[in-house]
Amino acid sequence: MKKILVLSLAFVMLLGLTSFASASESGKLLIWADENRLEVVTELAEEFEDDYGVPVEVQEKAFGDIRDSMRVEAPSGEGPDIIVGAHDWLGELVTNGLISPIDLSGIEDEFIDVSLEAFTWGEDTYAVPYAIESVGLIYNKDLVPNPPETFEEFREVVKENTNKEEEKYGFVMPQPDPFHTYPFMSAMGGYVFGMENGVYNPKDIGLNNEGAVKGLEKLNSLYAEEYVPYLDYQTMASLFKSGDAAMMLTGPWEFGNLEEAGINYGFAQLPTMEGQAPKPFSSVHGFMMSEFSENKMLAQAFIRNFIAREDTMIELYEKGGRPPVYKPAIEVAKEDPQTAGVLESARESMPMPSIPEMNAVWAAWEDALEVVLNQKQDVKPALDNAVEQIEDSLEQSSE
Amino acid sequence: MSIQDNMWKYLFKIIFLGIMDALSIWSAVILYNDSAYLLLIGLIIVVGAINIVYLIDKAYPMRYILPGTIFMVIFVVYPIFYTVYISFTNYGTGHVLDKQQVVNQLENRYFNPKDAEEFTFDTFKLEDKNEFILLFENEEGKRFIGYNNKLTPFENFDKKIIDSDNDGQIDQIAGYKRLPQMQLFQHLSSLQDLEYQLNDRILRMKNTEYFSSYIRQYKYDAEKDQLNSLRTDRVYKPSENGYFESKDGERLTPGFRTHIGWENYKKLLTDDRIFNPFLRVFIWTFEWAILSVFLTFSLGLFMAILLNDKNLRFRKIYRVILILPYAIPGFISVLVWRGLFNAEVGAVNNLLQFLSIGGIQWMQDPVWAKVALLIVNLWMGFPYMMLIALGSLQSISNNLYEAAAIDGASVWQKFRHITLPLLLVSLGPLLISSFAFNFNNFNVIYLFNEGGPAIPGAQTPAGATDILISYTYRLSFATGRGSDFGLASTVALFIFMITATITWFNFKYTGALEDVKENE
Repeated sequence: MKKILVLSLAFVMLLGLTSFASASESGKLLIWADENRLEVVTELAEEFEDDYGVPVEVQEKAFGDIRDSMRVEAPSGEGPDIIVGAHDWLGELVTNGLISPIDLSGIEDEFIDVSLEAFTWGEDTYAVPYAIESVGLIYNKDLVPNPPETFEEFREVVKENTNKEEEKYGFVMPQPDPFHTYPFMSAMGGYVFGMENGVYNPKDIGLNNEGAVKGLEKLNSLYAEEYVPYLDYQTMASLFKSGDAAMMLTGPWEFGNLEEAGINYGFAQLPTMEGQAPKPFSSVHGFMMSEFSENKMLAQAFIRNFIAREDTMIELYEKGGRPPVYKPAIEVAKEDPQTAGVLESARESMPMPSIPEMNAVWAAWEDALEVVLNQKQDVKPALDNAVEQIEDSLEQSSE
Repeated sequence: MSIQDNMWKYLFKIIFLGIMDALSIWSAVILYNDSAYLLLIGLIIVVGAINIVYLIDKAYPMRYILPGTIFMVIFVVYPIFYTVYISFTNYGTGHVLDKQQVVNQLENRYFNPKDAEEFTFDTFKLEDKNEFILLFENEEGKRFIGYNNKLTPFENFDKKIIDSDNDGQIDQIAGYKRLPQMQLFQHLSSLQDLEYQLNDRILRMKNTEYFSSYIRQYKYDAEKDQLNSLRTDRVYKPSENGYFESKDGERLTPGFRTHIGWENYKKLLTDDRIFNPFLRVFIWTFEWAILSVFLTFSLGLFMAILLNDKNLRFRKIYRVILILPYAIPGFISVLVWRGLFNAEVGAVNNLLQFLSIGGIQWMQDPVWAKVALLIVNLWMGFPYMMLIALGSLQSISNNLYEAAAIDGASVWQKFRHITLPLLLVSLGPLLISSFAFNFNNFNVIYLFNEGGPAIPGAQTPAGATDILISYTYRLSFATGRGSDFGLASTVALFIFMITATITWFNFKYTGALEDVKENE
């Protein structure tokens, strides 16, 4: 008897799960946002509902899950109308046919160039960007009063502040980490993929060109002379937070933690190499629209008429803390010196390439950094090998 | 009393089956409407089976194995068949949608030329109905009325137009009332689908302020199974690897999911870049699994024997302490160990420094990384071995030891000839399943060092500590263009065959299958 009961209950639950899950419905917006964006997006949704009489539901999804769930749920009609995410998803989402271009005609000028560039694929733009982040030199003002401006000064400061016995380090950065290492390689001319007519050309890889090799050699000299330890991200962050590291290379996402730890920090541009400014990767965040939405026009209206608006953008900045890309909001954000620093670094930055081919790039690049910085192989052969690997696996998958 | 009892039972049975059937029919309708036919068939089979088993007396014994069977089909058999199915497709980045979805998407692509006319619009709506009349005005001030999918110049429109308050703004057209601007958003999802023929172009909504003229890009010809471009005279035919492709090789994205036969199997076995590291990874996988089992079992057994000694004081406290590693979630302990083994600031190297052993590169040296991994797995795994060994030790009769003592056996001889053989009989199958578990122990490998360190000069990214399952992961998600689920499924099937063989030996070794046969 019990068994029947249990079975029926199980059935009811299964049915409940399938039939009550939200999905895109005509005349009603469904938004997926991650836990950090949930609160502010929910508030915006309520405002929109009050203003325009259109119901908006905001659903929480883990950041990485948003992209993966789109693949499964959007085509089956279970997906959202709008997702809040990062520009490096663009390649996968577009090549899979999961998101739809947004008409930004007439309002393009209100965003900084690099942010729209990041969300452009071919001829179309796929999001309204609202924030940008890129890495820079975060320094402890008590240990380094004036941040170094050239690589030579930088080397001196690192040397002065390093004392291995006492576990004091002048400079820490996460490894093997191409995202954080890229600025050193790009300063003198390295790049990942060349551009051709606004589209990345996966056949033109610039990771082993002269500039890239020279830049990595310079960085590697600090590792070889043992001024800089080989660490992962967590260890790097905790060293800086405990005051045992004078400078670290990372982005504005650590600001909150540093304030909590009571560190007197500043954000500076990375040191120039032979007079050339490093170009870090930037990551841009924005509102995208599902190809499978039944409310494309409504979703676009929400994004275009409501998100791309001065008060909304300022609200997004003030509640989320991420440097804005909407010009009127930038004026407000600039008052904070840290944010102003990140924005300056972001202006010089290069949006992290978003083509699906990047998967192969990250893996091979990471391996190259690992063998180089542990002094197992020289820079040139390691990068050559990485590029070969990338070419190989691109060739293999295009067959 | 028993008759009444039976009646109640019967009544309950009927009521619950009735409820379940009603719910099933309800969900069957939903599934049918969503055209989820596979799920529908599954539902019918499951519900049918439950009904038969509970209504037909002859099928009575079946009810004991039915729930198990259903769950086995759902959670074991179905995933295996699905994996086999995926391994024959090109499912992966760029090939997520099916062909029909891609055709629909491409047919709905419109091109907005640079010289497109833009029209502002006013919306008029029939009360209580989702029907609209639009009043357009182009850049030159010429007005059109969009009604019944047709565009008519304002002057030629013959229905009643009312401007009730004479302010120059029209309030009603043919009984359709002007929609206040604030309500526009509520009806966007209907307005977006309106299309009007405008010369050779299509007038459709661009944003909340404008309608604009568009050119449709593609038209699908179902008879010839091809997409015709309406802007150029190109023809796109579906290719074998899942793209609409023109003769000169231009591909339309997105691609679609399609069957590609043995392509994935061929790639795995003939492509050197994939196959070469396979052997190295294969050998380390076996080393890893065997050493893990051997080390955890040895330490676990040693501890169990110590704890089993009745003369030992504080046994319970020791037991609790020794079981602790087992109680900590693996995710946490692996990450903690990862920190401890850090070459620069980790506690392990700091401790070793006191012994004047300096600078072991735990994460970066292939050999030491393997050693570190085995230590971590030993720490995490020995409590389990200790627990099962403790249980088995209790079951060994004391008489044997007494007899051995009388014969003058040494401690070692007792262990070698009594304890170990008797333990292995009962623990053998558990050791083999532990082997199978470690064979696929993705968590430890991946969380500790992501399969690293990297091997200089390697052709395919495969680290020194990658085991088969983490190599699969790299192959399918970290190479080429995004994820390749087809290839990943193929490798997964190979691993499945290996573990299935091990399990088969396990059954053979323990005679589990023979027992079943005898009982039949």
